[in-house]
Amino acid sequence: MNALIEKLFRDGPPQAAEIEAFINGNTFPLVEPDHVTFVFRSLADEVLLRRWISGLSTSQPMQSLEGTDLWALTMDLPRKSRFEYKFEIVHNGARELQLDGLNKVQANDPFGANSVCQGYGYKRPDWTLHDPESRTGSLAELAIDSQVFEGRRDVQVYLPARFKRSRNYPLLIVHDGPDYLHYADLKTVLDNLIHRLEIPAMCVALTQSPDRLVEYTGDPRHARFIGEELLPLLTEKLPLIDRSNARGLMGASLGGVACLHAASVYPKLFGQLLLQSGSFAFSDLGQHQKGPIFDPVVRFVNGYRKKPFVLADKIYMSCGIYESLIYENRSLVPLLQKQGMQINFEEARDAHNWENWRDRLRNGLTWLFPGPLWMVYE
Amino acid sequence: MAAQQVLLGPQTPVANVRRAVEAVGCEGPVVVITAGWRDSEGEIDELQDELGIPVEDLMLYHRAEDIYLREPKLRELKSERQDKLRELQRLYRMRLKPTLSAARDLCRTTGDPELLRLEQNEAILQVRELDQHHLRRIVACHQDYDARRKSMEIPTASAEHERVHKQVKNAGLVLIAGGHVAVLLNRLRMFRLGGLLAQKTVIAWSAGAMALSDRIVLFHHHAPQGKVDAEVLDAGLGIVNGKVLLPGAKQRLSWNSSKRLSLFSRRFAPASCCTLDNGSMIHIRAGKQVKASNSFVITHDGRRLALAAP
Repeated sequence: MNALIEKLFRDGPPQAAEIEAFINGNTFPLVEPDHVTFVFRSLADEVLLRRWISGLSTSQPMQSLEGTDLWALTMDLPRKSRFEYKFEIVHNGARELQLDGLNKVQANDPFGANSVCQGYGYKRPDWTLHDPESRTGSLAELAIDSQVFEGRRDVQVYLPARFKRSRNYPLLIVHDGPDYLHYADLKTVLDNLIHRLEIPAMCVALTQSPDRLVEYTGDPRHARFIGEELLPLLTEKLPLIDRSNARGLMGASLGGVACLHAASVYPKLFGQLLLQSGSFAFSDLGQHQKGPIFDPVVRFVNGYRKKPFVLADKIYMSCGIYESLIYENRSLVPLLQKQGMQINFEEARDAHNWENWRDRLRNGLTWLFPGPLWMVYE
Repeated sequence: MAAQQVLLGPQTPVANVRRAVEAVGCEGPVVVITAGWRDSEGEIDELQDELGIPVEDLMLYHRAEDIYLREPKLRELKSERQDKLRELQRLYRMRLKPTLSAARDLCRTTGDPELLRLEQNEAILQVRELDQHHLRRIVACHQDYDARRKSMEIPTASAEHERVHKQVKNAGLVLIAGGHVAVLLNRLRMFRLGGLLAQKTVIAWSAGAMALSDRIVLFHHHAPQGKVDAEVLDAGLGIVNGKVLLPGAKQRLSWNSSKRLSLFSRRFAPASCCTLDNGSMIHIRAGKQVKASNSFVITHDGRRLALAAP
């Protein structure tokens, strides 16, 4: 048990005022170099920590602290780790998921908010925070009348600060782009990295699929949309550098699969791929166990594993070691390397979430699109 | 009036170029060189607003592009030189890495101080010699280019040179903005402005200041893909001597690593490593530093010391 809690209980169960002082005097969870202690305060029959860490059980019961309404749980946590969690409260037969009311740090995703546990040594990177000195880019709307999808598709386009039609820019197409904006602060990151000259000023197209569980799973329509509709339209509307190494695809989770699949349909059209926690499910023997949504993914990845070929010049891949996809991602790396592509694979002490993907953007973007900071002194 | 140079750091977030203009005074037209901005050359509205006086951009980047477009032989010669310079830089890097790594290891290790000092000095000397060797190779490459360029008849280039020289001669003040240091230096060289600028009052910031110096050092301790060794790029115009100028040093250097800074400083000795941050100003007249503010020199033991006026 954590030393602060032991101290609180040294002379028996603490009084309400002592508990108040303990709660008000500390930041939760209680973080130590190799451990973290979660504390919850309320009457309940049972309290569980619900966390999304592969390899550990999803729920772990918290210990009721004798004579009080406090619950606590200490677990090992390697330094610089980060994961998201909630408390599951069981009371009078009802179960409810709650955010950690003692922890102000939260992360959002399309399904809502989670509490965030930042392990010892984790610090949110400064380049993900608004920098008043960074010039800000703008977002423009673009509508595509898609023949492939038989309907209109809306795309947001990030234009860098001081965008000029007389200059030519690299292009990055981002799957789940609006989610990257909302949950991974992509615009702030782009503004900051461009301002710091760590990446060149670039145009970024942000796409969003209305049916990503189908379109991002190796759907040939999606690849055609990217290669034969979106890219030609962007090329027509924007001043872009006409070289494959100045064109990239980016995506996370199934978005990573969508990138890899599009790159397999149009090899080397996009020289740079940025794939985060790609859901690269495959089966070596028998049927996969990931559910029917993954059937087309497995067909595609199995096919590529059987007959691999060059997809792009450079691929940056990242994956959290607290997510089950680490196995699939690790498996893919040597196969891609063997084709002669430059691969940069980064593992993070994090899980399948947007802030993990946010925190890796600098490494990925600056490796794929190195900026002029070495030569430019403004 | 004696030639003078005022060296400044980045002009954001707060510009001090106006203060520099007031310090040196100005009689005659003001011209500016923004070739380091490349495609954005000539976008000087913000600068004009800051100064409140008319400024003419010499447009060296675009003028050079026009010349190369019209003179394919010159373009070919230039591109041959650029290829050679790039290759020299690659080869230099290959040697620099192990040489510098040995010096770094020796500066970090502990042992008999007397024995160690000699080995450290020797290792730093080797780095210094390599830097000097590289610089000689670069200078020889430029000399070869100049000799071959002289034998070519390029009327377009000659006429454009004359026009630029006339503008600079008539100017009361020359400003040189920062930007891409290699591009800027290339354009200054192409129009052979070194000798002329040495006789003028020049205010230069960041890459502009580096271009005036006798040795250009590229540096960044916080590069996103990990540590990169500082490297000598080229000889500058040699108008400012004995100083390695470090624009944006506050952000670019690891100030919490005195060993790293010590090696940096000793490597480039006897030149002094001077920071040029936002708000810095170093005023040099007739080759002598007459004033300095908000600029620091890195000491041989890796500390930051205010650059003192004489």
